[in-house]
Amino acid sequence: MWDLSGKYAIVGVGESERSKNSGTTPLHLALQAARNAIEDAGLNAKDIDAFMSYSEHDSCTSHQLATYLGVRPRYVKDIMGGGSSTELLIADAVSLIESGQATAVLIFRSMNGRSGVRMGGGGWSTDLLQSAIEGGSFIIPYGMASPSQWFGMFATRHMYEANLTQEHLGHVCVSFYEHAQRNPKAMLHGKPLSMEHYLKTSHLSYPFTKHDFCLETDEANAIIVTSAERAKDCKSRPVFIKGIVAREAHPHAHYWSDLSQVAADYVGERIYENAGIQPEDLDVASIYDCYSWVVLRQLEAYKIASREGLGDFVAQGNLKMGGKLPSNTAGGMLSEGYTHGMNNVLEITRQLRHEYKGTERQVEGCELGLCTGWLGPDAAGAMILNN
Amino acid sequence: MMSIEKTSSKYEKPIPLKTIDNKPYWDAADQHELAIQSCEDCKRAIHPPGPACPHCGSPTIEWINYGSDVTGTIYSFVMTYVPMLPGFQHDLPTIIAQVEVDQMEGVRITANLINAAPEEVAIGKAVKMTWIDITEDRALPQWALMK
Repeated sequence: MWDLSGKYAIVGVGESERSKNSGTTPLHLALQAARNAIEDAGLNAKDIDAFMSYSEHDSCTSHQLATYLGVRPRYVKDIMGGGSSTELLIADAVSLIESGQATAVLIFRSMNGRSGVRMGGGGWSTDLLQSAIEGGSFIIPYGMASPSQWFGMFATRHMYEANLTQEHLGHVCVSFYEHAQRNPKAMLHGKPLSMEHYLKTSHLSYPFTKHDFCLETDEANAIIVTSAERAKDCKSRPVFIKGIVAREAHPHAHYWSDLSQVAADYVGERIYENAGIQPEDLDVASIYDCYSWVVLRQLEAYKIASREGLGDFVAQGNLKMGGKLPSNTAGGMLSEGYTHGMNNVLEITRQLRHEYKGTERQVEGCELGLCTGWLGPDAAGAMILNN
Repeated sequence: MMSIEKTSSKYEKPIPLKTIDNKPYWDAADQHELAIQSCEDCKRAIHPPGPACPHCGSPTIEWINYGSDVTGTIYSFVMTYVPMLPGFQHDLPTIIAQVEVDQMEGVRITANLINAAPEEVAIGKAVKMTWIDITEDRALPQWALMK
């Protein structure tokens, strides 16, 4: 078991307004999210001495954020990255505090993901794409430039091997859209999805319909990590990091060279031993959901269901409230919003605090949660949290 | 990076960029042949090509030419109904198939499946490599269903 288990905690979470067109800059959004996270923790901005962010050149810098919070930071870091970067930076925060470089770390992701730089793509130089992606010359000339195609190639093969149908992808979507109906801040609140409607929706990129894609939104999220000792000074109920696997990678940087494995398989091998628990002990989960299939593949990687049992697991409603593992209970990136995974981390933190107690949104009595990050089949990370 | 002559043709799609590591593959393709990198130490085939063997780390690699008679079976595929890159708007859906190649173990090559209707595409179907001349001096390997 990890020897820092329970010694660090998430003590503050916050978000900006969420919209399709913020009308403002990522710095303004990041300031809203950071102020809300600091208020949530009951800290002063000057209590935060390290600031870190991830982006795809579509955000502001940590130094800018600290400046306009009125703080001279001791440590700033901005990394390139998408999914699984939250877990990566939380592990970094633990290391920084453990080594005495910082005492409280604020991590943020800010993006005009809909009105500004869209992840769905378009407009890049095709020569640049061929050079930037390992083995890019072997996919770009064939029109394969979108994550929906990159992950879809894995999905088609995996669905074939695991006997998964379109309806099984639909169960993931329908389950998460159902959660969004209990979340007034979800983009698709008020827009429930029936299986009948899902199955009538045409493919954007086989095997995915538009419902299988995550949303694109303008939004910032922030998280504050500090030591369990320091957490006693905070007003929020701390959510402890019981185990964390910051990042694992596929054996080949041109990950399409082997569709039979994904980086999450390696995280799944280590995370439970790291946290000292079993998959059956989990009460709630946030599973990275940039596409519906990515959830199914991770249920397998994280040993929540066997390959043979994946379809039944989701068809039986196990991702829904009252199921075996209520997951992405704010609606996930499929129906709440999309900040490259961080919104799912905010939600599981709130679940484990029992912040929704007394409402139908609360996963009753939850104590242990799994939070996964998926950059792609190439890289992944996860953490297990407890209250 | 190599400069690419686009003046000789109206081909709108991206043309494979030749690099120090992949040039023999694309040079062979221009001659309507398949060349694959192989490790001289562990003897395993390497695709896509690189600066060393990804299986064992050996820097000693060679190229083997398999000629023009290349067959395989569809291992996976996607079919995209919106163009993701320039030029693909003319022949939607874009069908992209990864194929297990019969002539060598462990090599799967991704290309478009051409002249196929979406309902004809399935894992396990037999295909043959074919080359499309895209400019005066460049050709692109593609897959076609065996009839």
